[in-house]
Amino acid sequence: MDEFASRLYPVREDMRFQRRSWMVERAGWLVLTAIALAALTGVFGNGPLSTARAGAGPLTVVYERFQRATRTTRFEFEIAPGPRSDATLHLGGAFLRQFEIASIQPRPLTSTAGPDGVDLTFAARPNAGRRVVIWTQSRHYGLSRITAAADAGAAAAFWVFVYP
Amino acid sequence: MDSIIKATVVFFALWAIIRVSGRRTLGEMSAFDFVLFMIIGGSTQRAITGQDYSMTNALLLVGTFIMLDIALSIFELRSPLVRHVLNAMPMILVENGILLRGRMRRARITEDNILEAARRLHGLERIDQIKFAILEAAGDITIVPASGAKATEPAPV
Repeated sequence: MDEFASRLYPVREDMRFQRRSWMVERAGWLVLTAIALAALTGVFGNGPLSTARAGAGPLTVVYERFQRATRTTRFEFEIAPGPRSDATLHLGGAFLRQFEIASIQPRPLTSTAGPDGVDLTFAARPNAGRRVVIWTQSRHYGLSRITAAADAGAAAAFWVFVYP
Repeated sequence: MDSIIKATVVFFALWAIIRVSGRRTLGEMSAFDFVLFMIIGGSTQRAITGQDYSMTNALLLVGTFIMLDIALSIFELRSPLVRHVLNAMPMILVENGILLRGRMRRARITEDNILEAARRLHGLERIDQIKFAILEAAGDITIVPASGAKATEPAPV
């Protein structure tokens, strides 16, 4: 009797179903491997494919494109040198809705609420580059579009995807 | 609302992963398998509870898991197809003393696994003393001894 023919005794087999479930099993292993490999590239956050850079006017933002809910991530804002001894960073409303700010380094001198977002003013050395790091935790899942601007320049727009 | 959805997603995702890992993981559990299951529990636990350590959340989660488990068992009763999808089917590995090697390879069962079950369950020593060895749906191996085959007394030491 063929090894892969279904026996009826002592147990009732269904080798067609059995073979199909082996196939599903193998496909599942491939999927698990693919997910693990994809995670190494950073598509689930924290990897080379996740680190992104956006800029407009005097502002450049380095951020994590893929984030995970409740996990602390870092936004790095680089503001081009200017003549004044302060620098202003404007964060759009979406930023405040999406993230809980854990800390801002350095601490802003003032923090001004506006109709759309918040203006943070930092003490800065004139004619030198300024860097502001904001640590955040995502509160919501999904895609959100964020805008940020520096020193009344054009707004940089970028997206962030937060995994649940 | 959140915790119910999370619990449901985690329940089915874990079920799919465990199911795909094959029956061996469920049946003969080694010490390392046990550790693995502890780690799986620990990894998922915080994702489900999040930062909500309230009693309400804990009870909601427990209720959801038990409810899903009951729902699956009812579906199993109703439909043989669902039963097979959820629990796999029994499969013969040894037939009248002959190993069905193709099946064993695909189910990741070795001759040693079968001999071990034969020794433990019936004190048998060789494959030809086995009439049927069956990989059960739960993942364990059961043995039907060949007629006339009986446990021999262990040799005196």
